[in-house]
Amino acid sequence: MLSSIIWTPLLFGLIGLLVPRRFAAWVAALGAVITLGLSIGVLAGFDPDGGMQFVTDVSWIPGLGVDYSLGIDGVSIFLVMLTAIAWIPAIGFSALRGTERPALFYLMLLAGETSTLGAFLAQDLLLFVLFFDLMIVPFYFLFGIWGRDRGGESDPEGSPGNGPVTVQSATLKMIVFTLIGSLLMLVGAIAAAVIAADGGELTFSIQTIVARGLPEGSQNWIFWFFAAAFLVKMPAFPLHGWMPDSYRAAPLPALAVFSAVLSKVGAYGFLRVVLPMMPDAADLFQTTMLVLAIASILYGSAMAFTKTDLRLVLGFSSVAQLGFITAGIFAFNESGAEGAVLQMVNHGLVVVPAFLIVAMISERTGSEELGPMGGLAKKAPVFAVIFLIVSMATLAIPASANFIGEFFILNGLFQVDAAWAIVASVGVALAAFYALRMYQLTMHNPLPDGSDSKEISLRDALVVIPMVAIVVVLAFCPQLIIHGSEPAVDSSIQVVKEVAE
Amino acid sequence: MDIEWYLILSALLFTVGFIGVLVRRNPVVILLCLELMLSAGALALLAFSRMLGNQDGQVFVLIVLVVAACEVVVGLGLVVAMYRRRLPLDVDEMKELKG
Amino acid sequence: MTATWAWLVLLLPLLGSMTIGLTFRVLPARTAGLIGVTAIVAAFVCGILALIGLQGEPSESRHVASSLWEYASVGGLSIDLGIYVDPLSIFMVLVVTGVSSLIHIYSYSYMKSDQGYHRFFSYLNFFVFSMLVLVLAGNFIMLIVGWALVGFASYALISYWYRRNTATKAGMKAFVINVIGDIGLYLAAILIFKNIGSVDYGTVFEKAPEVFTTNEWEIVAICLCLLVGAFAKSAQMPFHTWLADAMEGPTPVSSLIHAATMVTAGVYLIARCHSLFELAPTAADVSAWVGLVTLLIAGTIAIAVTDLKRIIAYSTMSQIGYMFVGVSIGAYSAGMFHLMTHAFFKALLFMAAGSFISAMANMQDIDRMKGFRKAMPFTAAMMIIGALALSGFPGTSGWFSKDEIIDFAHFRGGMYDWMWVGMLVGAFMTAVYSFRIIFRILPGPPCEEAEYLEEHGHVIHGEPKNPATGELEDTEVGYPGEEHHIAEQAGGMKFAMAVLGVLALIAGVLQIPGLDDVVTKFLEPTFENSVFSHMHPTTSESWIGLGEGALISLAGIATAWLLYIKRPDLPVRFRERFRWIHTLTVNKWYGDEIIDFLIVNPVKAIGRFCNRAFERFVIDGATTGVAGLTRSAGAAVRDMQSGLLRGYAVLMLFGILAIVIYFLIRSI
Repeated sequence: MLSSIIWTPLLFGLIGLLVPRRFAAWVAALGAVITLGLSIGVLAGFDPDGGMQFVTDVSWIPGLGVDYSLGIDGVSIFLVMLTAIAWIPAIGFSALRGTERPALFYLMLLAGETSTLGAFLAQDLLLFVLFFDLMIVPFYFLFGIWGRDRGGESDPEGSPGNGPVTVQSATLKMIVFTLIGSLLMLVGAIAAAVIAADGGELTFSIQTIVARGLPEGSQNWIFWFFAAAFLVKMPAFPLHGWMPDSYRAAPLPALAVFSAVLSKVGAYGFLRVVLPMMPDAADLFQTTMLVLAIASILYGSAMAFTKTDLRLVLGFSSVAQLGFITAGIFAFNESGAEGAVLQMVNHGLVVVPAFLIVAMISERTGSEELGPMGGLAKKAPVFAVIFLIVSMATLAIPASANFIGEFFILNGLFQVDAAWAIVASVGVALAAFYALRMYQLTMHNPLPDGSDSKEISLRDALVVIPMVAIVVVLAFCPQLIIHGSEPAVDSSIQVVKEVAE
Repeated sequence: MDIEWYLILSALLFTVGFIGVLVRRNPVVILLCLELMLSAGALALLAFSRMLGNQDGQVFVLIVLVVAACEVVVGLGLVVAMYRRRLPLDVDEMKELKG
Repeated sequence: MTATWAWLVLLLPLLGSMTIGLTFRVLPARTAGLIGVTAIVAAFVCGILALIGLQGEPSESRHVASSLWEYASVGGLSIDLGIYVDPLSIFMVLVVTGVSSLIHIYSYSYMKSDQGYHRFFSYLNFFVFSMLVLVLAGNFIMLIVGWALVGFASYALISYWYRRNTATKAGMKAFVINVIGDIGLYLAAILIFKNIGSVDYGTVFEKAPEVFTTNEWEIVAICLCLLVGAFAKSAQMPFHTWLADAMEGPTPVSSLIHAATMVTAGVYLIARCHSLFELAPTAADVSAWVGLVTLLIAGTIAIAVTDLKRIIAYSTMSQIGYMFVGVSIGAYSAGMFHLMTHAFFKALLFMAAGSFISAMANMQDIDRMKGFRKAMPFTAAMMIIGALALSGFPGTSGWFSKDEIIDFAHFRGGMYDWMWVGMLVGAFMTAVYSFRIIFRILPGPPCEEAEYLEEHGHVIHGEPKNPATGELEDTEVGYPGEEHHIAEQAGGMKFAMAVLGVLALIAGVLQIPGLDDVVTKFLEPTFENSVFSHMHPTTSESWIGLGEGALISLAGIATAWLLYIKRPDLPVRFRERFRWIHTLTVNKWYGDEIIDFLIVNPVKAIGRFCNRAFERFVIDGATTGVAGLTRSAGAAVRDMQSGLLRGYAVLMLFGILAIVIYFLIRSI
């Protein structure tokens, strides 16, 4: 069952190569919808208290103790759902307006979906590392082939923003950063398996390694090898150096899923691999990680309200949001971790429409710079309201599910130390500022010449409104996610919680 | 006869070959000198084989001869190609691979 | 049954808002307005039915908690989507829906020529829904939800004419300050959960006295965090700067949100959490002093500024200051009573002001208005009623409600006597600035606009200009369209104002000392566990207080008459003489500048520093630095690739020699 979820997208991507070019997009969309259908099937048969379910375990490389081992629990199921949902608007958006070299484009997008789903479902450490590394490959091509060079970012006050970016340099930066992280993680994974085996039978099964336990001394360095990979992927301050350039060069539909889902794999990795496997190290470095997380929140927010490029505003707001998520995970209590899981899903759901809206805005104004924009709401009330909902969810206004996520995280942080929660809550205020600034500078104020205030078209509404609808429904009942994920979240922080106490 | 003599001869041959590689600039001569060095090695192998009384050394020599033949084929092929393109037959002139 | 009615109260405005919002393309504007009005009036009726249901209960069980479903719960923190109905929340529901109904009726006419009619009513309904969530919330999380949603609705309506840069800026300011207040509530809720283990009103208020000892630092911290939220929402110092700017919104919005309902949420919060505040008298005193300072400072500003709506806005701040003092020193029912009467007369004042502003073709400067007495007699009468009630003229509603608070401060004595003095000074200022408006606008020779109105029977058509900056405006987005509307010519506006006028005059009869105390009795079940519930001044003391209030009010009105009618040269001379006082007050005590200097500018500077320096040189520098390091390392060794075949051979020789020598040495 889980295998079919993973491989369906890739299969349809390959079919897309065979059919006539004009059908490639629809084959891809069909693949994404079938994947969603399968995921819903799994969700329907899912038992929140059942631990790891739908397990597939086939010996793959017996000599090294590597298994093709998949399973799903309360944490991964919602991230799988997020992935399955997020890809549909990205594909739909491109399908409805067409792209160059469609067959290859959709193959890459769907290959990205396959590897992301694989990373969420893998229960074998080496398989996880493999999927984690594979994720970046299709996006390297997506950004490299369909991305475009960008001029320097303008700054109304005449000081330098980001300079011009070429696609080559941006993708190179991204791949080098992530590969360094991934290779460190590979080393860490092998070391963890070997050390845990301690001369016995070598296995990469996450559960077995967790059960065997790692000696404290080795945990300390293996922890950082994993943390490096995850923090780069998120990206967290100060390892986000690759993010601005790649975000500016990337094609928006691909960027939407990249920002929405791939960043969550890092956070998921902390919850799934790092905390259970290296509880002593996690406890030892709790303060360091919290400092990094809070720094991400504050730095990301400060950059988000200063930047004028819409993609960078969203990019840095993601840095801040991922900071909240990391902080929640490293609070080592139910409230923080549950808030983090909820926030992962919420943030993913909000970011996809946000980036697609950026694409629509740039069609109307011919620019992605906030400086000369404004007034787009004039003839486009529906468009404006959709963006307003997305902005409000981004700033986690109470009544959105994002608020519950953030509130749980703050509550969790408060239990560690009130100071963390108070400093982190500054990020909440800054979020209000940057999200509203983004909304106002695009939609409100007088409409400048050269901008065209046009109502959202039917094809765009078709892909964006369902996402917004999901955000709204979740706002009424975040308990849906909390209920399903709580036991799994509890069990993944159980070990570290005991250590911390 | 003592093995030393064979080895001294082999060493002398090798030295002559190596000096030839270092000082001559004509690729054909350099190839000749390389052959000389290989033969020196082969001679040493034969001597040891004789001394130890097993055939391994001889097998190695056969392999060395094969490799030497291949190398000459490739080397001479390059020389002929250079000649055809009217390039100077001088290894010091050919340094397009300079970093 | 009560709970069902209360849920209906919540549901109707939400439905109204959604219906108008979703069908704006097909629905005629009038119908949209009617739907909006109907939804709120129906909610008011449901509120009354809930009240009847509640009154049917015996007084000790006069509270109902009801929840729809589990909203979110984790690790012992369980949050229901729940409401809590008791006399206090019903009181607020009735004030909110009642005043909202009238303001909806007013807006139905007032916004007639606005292009964004649907949007306006959708937002306005949504605001009422949010406000009802706030007052009906059954736990602190729902309270935060309502709290933030009214902040959002307020933002949306302040920035309603979004083509104006000034309006969008004001919206941003209001929203961000309100979010800071929200964060105060987040922290308060977290602290409450940490100490009590629940966020439900019932459990929290019941357990608080067992968990906390009086003035324990944690309960003080909780109350101070709650106060941050209350101050931000109710525009008390130092979070007050947004309210004056919020006047950028349409006048009905100022009337409903920024005078009658939303800004009084802070008062409601303190009254709701009175059992916490009584455990933390320090925090309650902080709140009372802040209220006092705000009411005095806002009073001085209201005397100095000349923008009609801003004068009323500062007067709102000042009146909320009274309510804060009231509910903080234990005069709960007096505070809530003043909240209600204030809603009546302040909404009325804004409605009248809106009418005048329309007649002036959107000019808001009272220096330019003159002689409207004849041109707009009805509006003038309403304005006078509002001003009388505001200044506490004997017999009006404001007289009874304000002086009840002032009395109570005197009754508690000690430190509170200082507050008593301060509030009396404030009352004097209130009377002065209320009648400053009246004496500037109504008497005297009519100004150009008033004359035009008298002669032609309709209002003058001005250029569509932003009153704040004088810029010409795009008329495609919202008001002002071609026509303006004034009360004299619009039945809806007239009706709404007339009802409020009557209420502003007579609502005082609810609380006549010695005769009746309807509000106190009604609210008693909520406040019965309070230590102050049986402390109140005697009837004679109350009447002495009312007498003082009457004297001060009359003195204030007389002073205003002296300054603005009899000797108009006096204010000018005063201004000349004490220029610095005028500069200070007319610049609002530099509140904006101080906040900009202390908070906004540093935060922006940090952002710029991150962008221009840190990101550029440290983050990007590190990235490009590593790349550069690799490149230069390559450059350093590339010379070894000479391309000289014989050179390589020599290197090989030395390499082999080195290896051989190494092994020779090892073997020795």
